Amino acid sequence: MGSDQIIDRWVPQFRKGLLEFIILLKLQQGAIYGYELAVEIKKLTSIEVAEGTLYPLLNRLKRDCLVTSQWQTAEVGTPRKYYQITPLGLETLAKMKTTWTQTHNSIFNMVMQS
Amino acid sequence: MNQPFPIKSKVAQKVWHNFERDLVHKLAPLPKDEGNDIRLEIMSHLYESASHDEADLEEVRFINAIERLGSPEEYLDPLIADILLTQQTIKGDPRAIYQSLLASARKGFFHNLATLVLGLGYFWVIMIFIMSVMHLGDPDVGIWYYPSGNFSLSFSAQPDAIQWQPKWFPLIGIITSASAYWLLNKLLSYLFAKSK
Repeated sequence: MGSDQIIDRWVPQFRKGLLEFIILLKLQQGAIYGYELAVEIKKLTSIEVAEGTLYPLLNRLKRDCLVTSQWQTAEVGTPRKYYQITPLGLETLAKMKTTWTQTHNSIFNMVMQS
Repeated sequence: MNQPFPIKSKVAQKVWHNFERDLVHKLAPLPKDEGNDIRLEIMSHLYESASHDEADLEEVRFINAIERLGSPEEYLDPLIADILLTQQTIKGDPRAIYQSLLASARKGFFHNLATLVLGLGYFWVIMIFIMSVMHLGDPDVGIWYYPSGNFSLSFSAQPDAIQWQPKWFPLIGIITSASAYWLLNKLLSYLFAKSK
């Protein structure tokens, strides 16, 4: 197996592991619904994941009280379920950011030394 | 009447209804409300996604949107498994109760407190039930009162103590513990649903 193939396999796994963090980062900017979230994640991160896989993640975040959801049905148009980050979600996100920064700095140093 | 998902082409309507039918079938193990909520959310996503697709034909836009959603097993199975865990807790499945208590304990102070209270509740309910059944074979098992006003749950006769309701203890104990078990399950499932 060539290095390109290994990287092709590694990159999606690496990015998928970050999805919960990315979802919370996006929700920090305001309430958002599933389709919009999928589009934004694709646009901002180039992560190619099946859009449906966001829903089990959103459900898990909801179960852990990090987000809440609410249906918004307009007179005309598609009903949308909006997700919003909770105070516990913000607290968790702050810790995630710290962990991310520490990990990023450590790995960055290792990469620079190599 | 307001039509939330207007579709013009007959072929596109067929694609839409086939997808919805499959979704309903896959979501069948779930409680009706939960299943409907997930179905509506996925269908809403599908409709939005198709309406932003650039294909000329409406049915192709829906087919592309279904492809972008990915394999239904990939996103529905974890969702269904999570919701079924809650459902099993309501039914009193001990393994699901244990998993729910474990999940609850990982969520901070309030949840730890709730886990402690509920955990102790389950402990005493099971103890009373076991003692009530044991009383049928050994009449000394039960609740004992002391003249000082204290009482104890004991598996043997206590000196200087009087046994509480020796005749009715098994019946009262079994009925009370079964009712308390049902109430604790309701409380746990309520807290579990509230945290979702």
